[in-house]
Amino acid sequence: MGSDEILFPGVKDTDQLIQQLNVKYPGLAGAPYIIAVDKEVISGNTELAGEHVVALLPPYSGG
Amino acid sequence: MLLLFYLHIRGDDLSQVLNFGIVEIKFMKEIKSKNIFVKGPISPEFIASDIQKHSSKKNIGGHSIFLGQVRADTIDQKQVKFIEYTAYEEMALEKMHIIREAIFQKYDLICLHVYHSLGIVHAGEISLFVFVSSVHRKASIDACEEIVGRIKSELPVWGKEIFEDESYQWKENN
Repeated sequence: MGSDEILFPGVKDTDQLIQQLNVKYPGLAGAPYIIAVDKEVISGNTELAGEHVVALLPPYSGG
Repeated sequence: MLLLFYLHIRGDDLSQVLNFGIVEIKFMKEIKSKNIFVKGPISPEFIASDIQKHSSKKNIGGHSIFLGQVRADTIDQKQVKFIEYTAYEEMALEKMHIIREAIFQKYDLICLHVYHSLGIVHAGEISLFVFVSSVHRKASIDACEEIVGRIKSELPVWGKEIFEDESYQWKENN
């Protein structure tokens, strides 16, 4: 776990981003996570026009 | 020349940007979220002094306190020595703010305080402190239960359980 920042110019939506990430990080494909765009958890493919912060969040375990 | 001023104003609107020629002024949503994160374990002395502070609020009739303690779980014959907590802090604080507002809407509370550890907390130490106060007990007891549940399921916080042999596993809340 970390909070490394990576820039992905030219990515249209979250599906496309995940496809690219899966190629770059093959281990990611089987990993459990949810996606947040600008700190909001999304439930489906989400457009990424302009600048957004996308976070892949593994299962929470606070408390 | 481009100057950026970040002025914090009240209001729930998203950032509005005003342009004045060469000077761009950005009005940003005020960050009203209180910080809940503390480095390392939450000490019993801190908890005691927080209780003491509430003696001046004489309309309070009941407090409900939840303390989360790091458990020395045994997994595959290895015992958890400590948990290292990390968080997506910005998002967690926003979520906590939303939870706090919802809880105040739903329950008749006087006040509510939440503290969560980041970094290393050893087995036996406190990593979560939820302190809810109300006029009558039921509101604070019910609210406390709901807040703890929502903290565990909605805040992007992660606990890495480190065993005595220094191997680890990522904890998962049920």
